[in-house]
Amino acid sequence: MEIFISILVLGSLGLLFGLGLAVASKKLCVVTDPNLDKVFACLPGVNCGACGMPGCMAFAQSLIKGGVSLASCRVMEEEARERVASTLGIRLETQVKQIAVLHCGGGNKVKDRFQYNGLTDCIAANLVLHGQKECIYGCLGFGTCEKVCPFGAIRMSVEGLPVVDIAACRACGKCVQECPKGLFRLIPITSKVSVACSSRDNARDTRTFCAAGCIACRKCEKACPVDAIHVIDNLAVIDYDRCTSCGECVKVCPTKCIMMSEA
Amino acid sequence: MDLRILLSIIIGMVFINNFVLSKFLGLCPFLGVSRAIKPAVSMGLAVIFVMTLSGFLTWLVYRFVLIPLNLVYLRTIVFILVIASFVQLVEMVILKKSPVLYRALGIYLPLITTNCAVLGVTVLNINSFFVNGNPVAASFALSLIQSFFAGIGFSLALLLMSGIRERLDLTDVPAALAGIPIAFIIASLMSLAFMGFNGFRF
Repeated sequence: MEIFISILVLGSLGLLFGLGLAVASKKLCVVTDPNLDKVFACLPGVNCGACGMPGCMAFAQSLIKGGVSLASCRVMEEEARERVASTLGIRLETQVKQIAVLHCGGGNKVKDRFQYNGLTDCIAANLVLHGQKECIYGCLGFGTCEKVCPFGAIRMSVEGLPVVDIAACRACGKCVQECPKGLFRLIPITSKVSVACSSRDNARDTRTFCAAGCIACRKCEKACPVDAIHVIDNLAVIDYDRCTSCGECVKVCPTKCIMMSEA
Repeated sequence: MDLRILLSIIIGMVFINNFVLSKFLGLCPFLGVSRAIKPAVSMGLAVIFVMTLSGFLTWLVYRFVLIPLNLVYLRTIVFILVIASFVQLVEMVILKKSPVLYRALGIYLPLITTNCAVLGVTVLNINSFFVNGNPVAASFALSLIQSFFAGIGFSLALLLMSGIRERLDLTDVPAALAGIPIAFIIASLMSLAFMGFNGFRF
C-alpha cells in the first residue's frame, strides 16, 4: 500500500511542478525573433569582440535591429556572411579579406640590452625600459600575440618571432591591439608585400642593433613603379591603396626587410 | 530564539562547517567558476539566492507533505524535484523581468540546479531542525538562516579562491602544475586552514 502512496505523491508532485512550469513558460515567455538563432548559428561564436559588441549574441541582436553593418564582423567566413545576408534580406557589401602581418624581422637576431627576469609577457616586459631588446621598436618575443589570438593563428617560431597562419587568421585585430610595440597591421590579403621592420632609428643605429632592419636607403622608393612606397621617419611604409605587389622593392632592398609572402 | 544558537549557526556555516572547504560539497563550481573574481561574485550571489529559497521551499514540503504522509524516505528525490523546478521558474521570471540580471547570472543559474551544496543544505536543515519528525522551536526561521549563511560561506570560499587564482595567473607555476592541478593544491591548503576554525567553542 505504501508504495502506491509514494508513487502517487511523487507523481503528483512532478505533475504539479510540470504543469506549473508549463503555465509559467507560457505566461512568462519572452518573444524572440526567430531569425536570431539562425543568425547566431552563422556567426563564429568566439566572442572576440572585434565588432565592438560584447560577444556574438549581442552582435546578432543588433544586426537584426539594424544597428550595425554585417561587415563589422571581420571574422566571419564569406559563405556564412552570405547566409546571414539572405536570412535577414540585407545587401551584402563585398570587401577584401584582411590578414594580420608582423612588421618586424628581428627576433633572435637582435641581442638583449639587459637580462629580463619578469613576467613572460610582452606587455609587462615593455614596461621595463621599453623591453629588453636593443631595438626598442622590435618584437620582444614573449608571445603575447600568440596568447590573445582567439583562432590560434599565431605561433612563435624558433627565430623568436610570431608567425601568422594566413589560412587561420580572421583579421579580428586582437594582436594589433595587444602588441605593445604595435608591430601588427591588418593588410589586404591580396597584397603580398610587407615591410618587416618598424624601427624609426637612423640607419647607423638600426644597423648596429639588427641585420634585418630598414636603413632608410630609399632604394625601394626609387624602384617602385607606382609610387606606393615611401620612407617616412627612417622607415619604408607601403601605401596598400596603390601597391600592386609587383615585387620591385623586394628585389632592391639591401637588408631584405621588405618581404614577399609565398602564398 | 537564543542568540548563542544563532551565532553558532552563522559562524558554523560560514567558517567551521564551510560547505566547500569542510564538507567538500559543491566542488565543481568551486573550481570551475573561480578563475576570476567577477564571475565568482555572480555565482556566489546566485547560490545564496537559490540556497535560501530552496531552504524555504523544502522545509514547507517536508513539514506539510512528507511528514503527514509518512514518506520522509523520499526526501532526497523530492528535494531535487523541488530545487530543479524552482530554479527553472526563477530563470524564467528573471529572463522576463530583468534581462540584465539574467545576463549577469547567465549560465550559473541552471548550473546551480545540479549543485550538491544546495541539496546538502536542505538535507542538513531537516537533520538539524527536526526531532523525530517534529520541528524544533523556531525551526523554520533557523532553517532559513542556516541556508542563507551556508550560501554566504560558499561565496566566501569562492571569492577567496578566485582572488588567489587571479594572482596565481601572474606567477611562475611549474608547467606540470599550471591550471587545475595547482588549484587543487590551493584548495586543499585552504581546507587545512579552515580546519583551524574547528577549535571554536561557544
